[in-house]
Amino acid sequence: MAILEEPIKETLQLQNYINGDWVDSEGESKDVVNPTTQKVVARVPISTREDFDAAVEAAKEAFPDWRRTPPLARARCLFRLKTLLEENFEQLSRIQTMEHGKTIDESRGETRRGIENVEVATGIPSLMLGTSLEDIASGIDAYLIRQPLGVFGIIGPFNFPFMVPLWFVPYAIATGNCVVVKPSSEDPLSQIKIAELAEEAGIPPGVYSLVNGGRVVVSSMLQHPDIKGVCFVGSTPVGKDVVYKQCGETGKRVIAQCGAKNFAVVMPDADLPRTIASCMTSFFGNTGQRCLANANLVIVGEGLSDREYDAFYNKVVDMFVQAATNIRIGYGLDESIQMGPLRDGEKKKKVIRYIEKGIAEGAKLRLDGRNPKIIGNWPDTAFIGPTVFEDVTPDMVIAQDEIFGPVAAIIKARTLDQAIDMIHDNPFGNAASLFTNSGRWARKFQYEVECGSIGINVGIAAPMAFFPFSGMKDSFFGTLHGQGQEIVRFFTESKVVIQRWF
Amino acid sequence: MEEINLTTATVISFSQQLEEDSAAFYEQLAERFTEHADTFMAAVKQSHKNKVWITRTYQETISDALEACFCFQGLNLKDYEIEWALPEGASYPEALRTAIALEDKTIAFYQDVAERSESLLATIPGAFKRAAKKRAARKRELEGLL
Repeated sequence: MAILEEPIKETLQLQNYINGDWVDSEGESKDVVNPTTQKVVARVPISTREDFDAAVEAAKEAFPDWRRTPPLARARCLFRLKTLLEENFEQLSRIQTMEHGKTIDESRGETRRGIENVEVATGIPSLMLGTSLEDIASGIDAYLIRQPLGVFGIIGPFNFPFMVPLWFVPYAIATGNCVVVKPSSEDPLSQIKIAELAEEAGIPPGVYSLVNGGRVVVSSMLQHPDIKGVCFVGSTPVGKDVVYKQCGETGKRVIAQCGAKNFAVVMPDADLPRTIASCMTSFFGNTGQRCLANANLVIVGEGLSDREYDAFYNKVVDMFVQAATNIRIGYGLDESIQMGPLRDGEKKKKVIRYIEKGIAEGAKLRLDGRNPKIIGNWPDTAFIGPTVFEDVTPDMVIAQDEIFGPVAAIIKARTLDQAIDMIHDNPFGNAASLFTNSGRWARKFQYEVECGSIGINVGIAAPMAFFPFSGMKDSFFGTLHGQGQEIVRFFTESKVVIQRWF
Repeated sequence: MEEINLTTATVISFSQQLEEDSAAFYEQLAERFTEHADTFMAAVKQSHKNKVWITRTYQETISDALEACFCFQGLNLKDYEIEWALPEGASYPEALRTAIALEDKTIAFYQDVAERSESLLATIPGAFKRAAKKRAARKRELEGLL
């Protein structure tokens, strides 16, 4: 199929957006490379502490007026932003494919999920309502009011460059706070586009700022006394040992949504064709670079004789491997493509090290993605194909670690209880899926499994914008989660007024 | 196209092209058979509407929940490719019969993709069913002109 037109035609020199102005950084620049074509599409500044401080200063100045702006007026800014995002839907989606490598269907899905958060945040006059109770004592009434806190920092990941900051930003702004966003320096382009649209939507200077960069910006954010809280999505080591820890030390609110190793459990009564289709997206969608991706496929033989279980197991494995073999790999701007490259060559090397580790551990390599067939004449720098291991045991490194690539580990379990134990023995607790037609098994699974999101016959249990994006164990550090009502609470302080008139 | 496992994007693009080609075809009919231009221009308008409707439905519901890269297994778009050109010197009844045959193929396409997208969010098969219904109404109208 033909390649859709690329929206970025020449190398862009990116700037920071601070106090309503586009400004250069004093820091050095770094290339942003299209992982498919390996062409440099932009140069992103690696900003300094001074750049970040300027953004916080502007946000701090903007806060008192923004806080006093009526919620309905703040919501109107978001309505305008939503309209602009819709108008630029296709361009935004193609930018994501260019900067990240994902397929155009995946990018469009990400754009939609991002916009949905803006839509939900426009309901802030209702979401932010307090409560009241008359006559808590003689002639005394009490009110709960939700008030914004000030300036928040948002740290975006590389795997969903457009959507993830929108889990937080619209709600922060809607509740009357100001934000400074640091996109991933690997793929900052769609956030730059959002900043342009935020400016066009009339979000006042200082309310929304964007500072590009890396560790310096992150550490400045974590240490800055005027940053009231930080929202982070990224790896567990950084989330746990850096972001969560430092926010604790400096008294900031924190949401640290981190790594995962998710299990998909297939029961003998599952609808296999639909289960396998769902698993393809779940295991290999976004080239496995998704914290909700399933990575371990547990095939359960509950209620089956040994012979029946062997037959069932082999059937599921064969269908899974066959479907994975058929996945079309190439440039995501070709609409027929089902899987793009990893974000960069270093990530590919890391995934290959895990494949080698799996072989060394004794797992059976049923499908080897190390030399994939690529549709189109693209350099293979970041491409890797779906990889499937069989005979994996839960203690193997490939079943334990977050690989963040298209590698599936197939594990046997005789009973559902055994499968649930495997999930609980794993340090992560982001999501888990069960494929079954049994309500009894489904209820047991959702009741017992210690994970933030549960999918029943759903491969990617991705909460929509009006639900919290939960996570447990080593997948989440904090108390309240992104999206929905919880994020409104995160961005507001509860104040109780107790009132009596003499 | 011979893929046996089509992405949603591929099917949507095919639908968009189908409606664009369709609109161009009826514009041609309107120019050639001016006494029935209103009927044919109504078909042009309807094709534009169908395209907008399908595109909007796709963009408003596409998300990772749709398993969008792994839909429409077994569908071969070659089966629905249409030669939209009107035969040189075709009479009015011949042109109508050509149009009816093209409508049959288009209706079959929309019905098949609606059936195969039943597991997706309801709005997706709904949009295809709606397009099939509109095209079926157009076919009846064309048959009435014969």
